[in-house]
Amino acid sequence: MLNIFKKNTEKKLLAPCDGQVVSIDKVPDPVFAQKMVGDGFAIIPSSNDILSPVDGEIIQVFPTFHAICLKSVDGLEIIVHVGIDTVELKGEGFTCHTEVGATVKAGDKLLTFTPEVLEAHGKNPITPVVITNQEILKSITVLSGTVAAKDVAVTISL
Amino acid sequence: MKEIKINNPTGLHARPASQLVMECKKFESEITLLRGEQSANAKSIMSIMAMAITGGDMIEISADGPDADAAVDAIASFLEALED
Repeated sequence: MLNIFKKNTEKKLLAPCDGQVVSIDKVPDPVFAQKMVGDGFAIIPSSNDILSPVDGEIIQVFPTFHAICLKSVDGLEIIVHVGIDTVELKGEGFTCHTEVGATVKAGDKLLTFTPEVLEAHGKNPITPVVITNQEILKSITVLSGTVAAKDVAVTISL
Repeated sequence: MKEIKINNPTGLHARPASQLVMECKKFESEITLLRGEQSANAKSIMSIMAMAITGGDMIEISADGPDADAAVDAIASFLEALED
């Protein structure tokens, strides 16, 4: 069968929560919008649990619990960053459910955040999910629109 | 090689980490940040963010390459001046 010659290098990132998937350039912070941190997508959350977008390993959890670094089984280095400038909350409104070195499956719960706390401090909850080793990406397609957690948000080819 | 203190209270989170990477990429040399036993490639944002460098940390900057001295000086000044 000719299928054996087709290399399937298409990968997916799942939406980490319910919400609205948008392209990364819509993030109101040039550090993300200009892909300085990486390429990917952003989601405007409408649920409070942040789930893993990939199968992989936790590389780092920020001490303020607002961002997590993961490495996927396919070699993608990913940062999930909940909200803009949320490092300034110093952990208030964030709970972590994982730890450095943990193996995770796509859909596993990583963090929970309290939207009211972000709102009270004037922090935009838009959550970029970016691949920092973007040089390994051949293409990336963002599936913008309303999603439920674990829906496919982005397809990538390597 | 230079040792500096991170004065920025929020440390090297996404914004300053990506600015640091941009500064480092101006130099040909390999640039390394060291804190105790942990090291990071200063041209890799994941490597820097994985160190979760916070305000008050003492960081050693070293570089290896043709413009190593200039790189160490520039990066040391950049990190000390961070206020974000």
